[in-house]
Amino acid sequence: MRLDPGMDFGPWLARQLKQSGMSQADLAQRVGMTRAAVSAWITGRATPREETIHKIAEALGTDLGTIHTRTADTLAGLPISWYHRPGHADGGREFGNAAAFAFEADVGVLAREATQNSLDERLDLAQPVRVRYTLHELSGEALARFRDEIRWDDLLPHYEAAAQQDQKVGRMIAGGLSDMYDRDRLVLLRIDDYNASGLTGDDYETGRFAAVVRRQLDSQKSVSGAGGSYGLGKATLWATSRLGLVLMNSTLSEPHEGRTERRLVGRLDLPWRKVDGKPWAGPAWFGRPDPDAEDVNVARSWWADEESVERLHLTRESAEPGTSFLIVGAHDVASLVEGTDTDADVEDDDSVHRMHHRLKDALGRNFWAAMTGGGKQRPLLEASVRTLRNGVEIIPETRVDPRETQPSRTRALQAFLDGTTVDRMTETGQVAMATVPLMVPAPAGHGNAVEHRAVVLVTEAEDGDDGKPNRVTTMRGNRMTVKIGWVPGLPVGTNPFQAVLLAGRAAGEDAPFADEAEAFLRASEPPEHDKWGQTEELRMLYSPSAYRRIGALTNQANKAVRELVALPKKSRKGGPERLRKRLSVGGRKTARPTPPAGPPTLEELDARIDDSGAWCVTAEMKIPAGGDSWRPAPVAKLDVRSGPRPVLAWSELVAVHNCEVVDGTIRFAPGARTATFRGTTDVTTHPVRAQFSGLVVELRTDKGAQA
Amino acid sequence: MRAFPYQRLPGVVSLRVTSVELRGPDDIRDPLDTSAFSAIEQVVAPGSTGRDDWEWLRMKVSATVPGRATAPDSPWTDLAVVVVLSEGATNTRISTALTPGAENGRKWEGQLDLWRADHLDRATMSVHVVATVDGVAGREIAASAKDWIIDLKAEAPLRERELEVVEVGFREGPQWLRRFQEVPWAVDTSGDLPVVHINKDFEGVSDLVGGNGTSVDNMVRDLLIAQMCTDVWTAVFHTAIGDLEIEDDGTPLFPRDWRGEVLREMLPDVVPDLPVEDALSEVHRRRTGTSGWTDLQPRIHYAATRRGDVPKALSATIRGLDSIHRGADA
Repeated sequence: MRLDPGMDFGPWLARQLKQSGMSQADLAQRVGMTRAAVSAWITGRATPREETIHKIAEALGTDLGTIHTRTADTLAGLPISWYHRPGHADGGREFGNAAAFAFEADVGVLAREATQNSLDERLDLAQPVRVRYTLHELSGEALARFRDEIRWDDLLPHYEAAAQQDQKVGRMIAGGLSDMYDRDRLVLLRIDDYNASGLTGDDYETGRFAAVVRRQLDSQKSVSGAGGSYGLGKATLWATSRLGLVLMNSTLSEPHEGRTERRLVGRLDLPWRKVDGKPWAGPAWFGRPDPDAEDVNVARSWWADEESVERLHLTRESAEPGTSFLIVGAHDVASLVEGTDTDADVEDDDSVHRMHHRLKDALGRNFWAAMTGGGKQRPLLEASVRTLRNGVEIIPETRVDPRETQPSRTRALQAFLDGTTVDRMTETGQVAMATVPLMVPAPAGHGNAVEHRAVVLVTEAEDGDDGKPNRVTTMRGNRMTVKIGWVPGLPVGTNPFQAVLLAGRAAGEDAPFADEAEAFLRASEPPEHDKWGQTEELRMLYSPSAYRRIGALTNQANKAVRELVALPKKSRKGGPERLRKRLSVGGRKTARPTPPAGPPTLEELDARIDDSGAWCVTAEMKIPAGGDSWRPAPVAKLDVRSGPRPVLAWSELVAVHNCEVVDGTIRFAPGARTATFRGTTDVTTHPVRAQFSGLVVELRTDKGAQA
Repeated sequence: MRAFPYQRLPGVVSLRVTSVELRGPDDIRDPLDTSAFSAIEQVVAPGSTGRDDWEWLRMKVSATVPGRATAPDSPWTDLAVVVVLSEGATNTRISTALTPGAENGRKWEGQLDLWRADHLDRATMSVHVVATVDGVAGREIAASAKDWIIDLKAEAPLRERELEVVEVGFREGPQWLRRFQEVPWAVDTSGDLPVVHINKDFEGVSDLVGGNGTSVDNMVRDLLIAQMCTDVWTAVFHTAIGDLEIEDDGTPLFPRDWRGEVLREMLPDVVPDLPVEDALSEVHRRRTGTSGWTDLQPRIHYAATRRGDVPKALSATIRGLDSIHRGADA
């Protein structure tokens, strides 16, 4: 499958010469032509004849196919290798990436940040961006092959040097190495997105590629309603890798160097270290040495062939633009916390399973809204998760369905998009809608505040909901959950509900001043995207008191929710309120501890009807400690719906175990904790045939019956 | 413990009301807000709208039945899910069969009409699963554990009921109260719900109980309220225990209305160390038997005092007075 036509011969040849460090004159000499002829091929003024092409292939050390298709580089010249940034001349040392420390290394956070980045890079705005998470556990042979492929032997000295440092990053790397060597396993977590822009742009100049691969804290966002604005999110990719290593394969939406498919590069984030007596600053790149760079060893992205992409576990399923990130040595701090220390050395088979489910949960929790479509709108996002072990699928690909994890919230948003909301709920399953004002101040105090109307949706909570009921989920245009807040002041007996507050662009096309509100709320979001409130940006762009508008919005939203779900305050009846409140019956359950030596209770009842129509019961009793002095009397009654229950007499009552029967009461053996008796009812005392009624057996323990 | 001569359906059967519509003269159809029926409290309060001209109401209900009921290899055939609405006070009983809905026969849906004239106060509604078992038709194989209540008088969908408090001048009031004109309050437990009458002719008691004044005023008020509550609880307990239905073997039954609730709440203080059912038998035995009733009076008084929160009110008062004195001394 060769979907892209390959480069023109001239530029391709120039590139191969540059990469192999061969001059035009060198090539001319090897193929027996003049330097002018080679120059003519490169500029496109002439094309070589078939026999000359044979000689060129020989000189470049490649086959004819590669020359004819020109979709990949020849293997001639400098091989794919690691380039480590040399230590700073000023002796400065960095023991880690500050951006990575801003996050917990937790697959939930990763799912949130990485998916958010994919959403922001959505290419065709009429279609959802598709995100797929693949967990792949490698061991044995497969692990060894993968290590060869990433030139592990070249990396190992750097890892060992880094692991010896007693710094946070050093300890993490040491843990990652021992996990791989001691347990012979490595977890790869791959994040693919489709219908996204891909890593476009030059290797070094400003663009998406450089923003992700070369730079820190560069927020290269293509849409103004984007989720992130700090360029921090991508750091979670490296933070999730215990080895600080991420490989990338991108299919570009705009060609670069005449190509779009299989642009590969790797980046390693290590702390400062000394290897072979030389200091290294930290990061390293996996790629083809760039002859154009000042330092010939600088690695740049390369256009790989299908086989090597396959060997690096980076094959994409189609030529649709987007990027695959492969996190090498993925781990999940949060799930490690869940496990206890004692079983840390036991092989934990479940860890990829656990990560799979945590990924699915995190996607469902954070992106249910982005995955919901309705009316004329398709969802913004489709996401799925699958898990493999050494190439074999162990958990099949499952699409994250928001209706499964968040049935009620999804229903609320869908009704809003479909335009089927109601003003007041009269039937369960309906979605009520109200609007609340958000006063958006003018930037930097110039001009007047404008009133944006945010949308509040309320619907009944479903049993399948993830999380607690009676909450308001808040979001803006990117439809990512910013926070989930509890609604205070709800009266007793309020039906459980879920509410959604849509502000900014999420409030719909007709909402007034949506763009202004969107920009305002985005400025009020901290890097974690987990609340709206005071931020430095908000203070600078608006005013120091601007955050109060958000508090007002929250209050208004809570009030609107209360009005939709709760009854208006009861009209006051006569009589002093204070007294009436104290005089209520029913509903109150005061727990009192059960006394230690309570009466014996029936534990097990085995009852059947014998041939004569009598009930034969065998009953086991539980006797609390010190309760063996009770003398309970077993009573059999017929179960009726209302009124007194007819009592049946016993024709026979015998002790079976740990007790004796005296005058219809049971005396326990001293110290007994369980006892069993058997009884048969007297048919003549049955008011109806036994077949027609249920039986109730009780132990009557009147105070007087206690010895 | 119960035993049945046939196989029953294990698992939870639940019922919920999904919508309520009030119907009245001239084809009025007024759907109630969902806030008028609480799924948590399991109460429908048609009175919460404030409209009083409705004649009947139509409820849509849905029941969830364990999936085993309709499994192909189940021992039950001719399965039916029936909702029964009844009210003991009027002896009304309406049943409606539900029809299977979505979710593979787990959900059953239907509607039920309630005529206002047939009911007095609180109707209860439960769901029963009925099937043919071993060739016997119409056996109940499962039922909901907690009833729904349709409370015709309440303004909010709550199970808890507040006793009535009426402020009335005893001197000119109803005949039976005139004899009590020199006391500040009287309790009447003869009606549907106990009523506390506060004597308006007793100078200042209304203002004291209902008002908010200086810290001393409030302490006295709280103490007074605690005292009134103690009186009320003592009275209602005696009323509740005085009129019990008795089974053949002499076991008393818990009344179904407020009396039962009062007993369940107070008996653990009256007869500690016993389950409430046994405590009820014990109290009943002492009341009707030859001895023991007098011995029980301090326990009843204790339970009422606790229920009235007297210890809390009194210690707050003592502390408050103490600090006032210290303030005055300083």
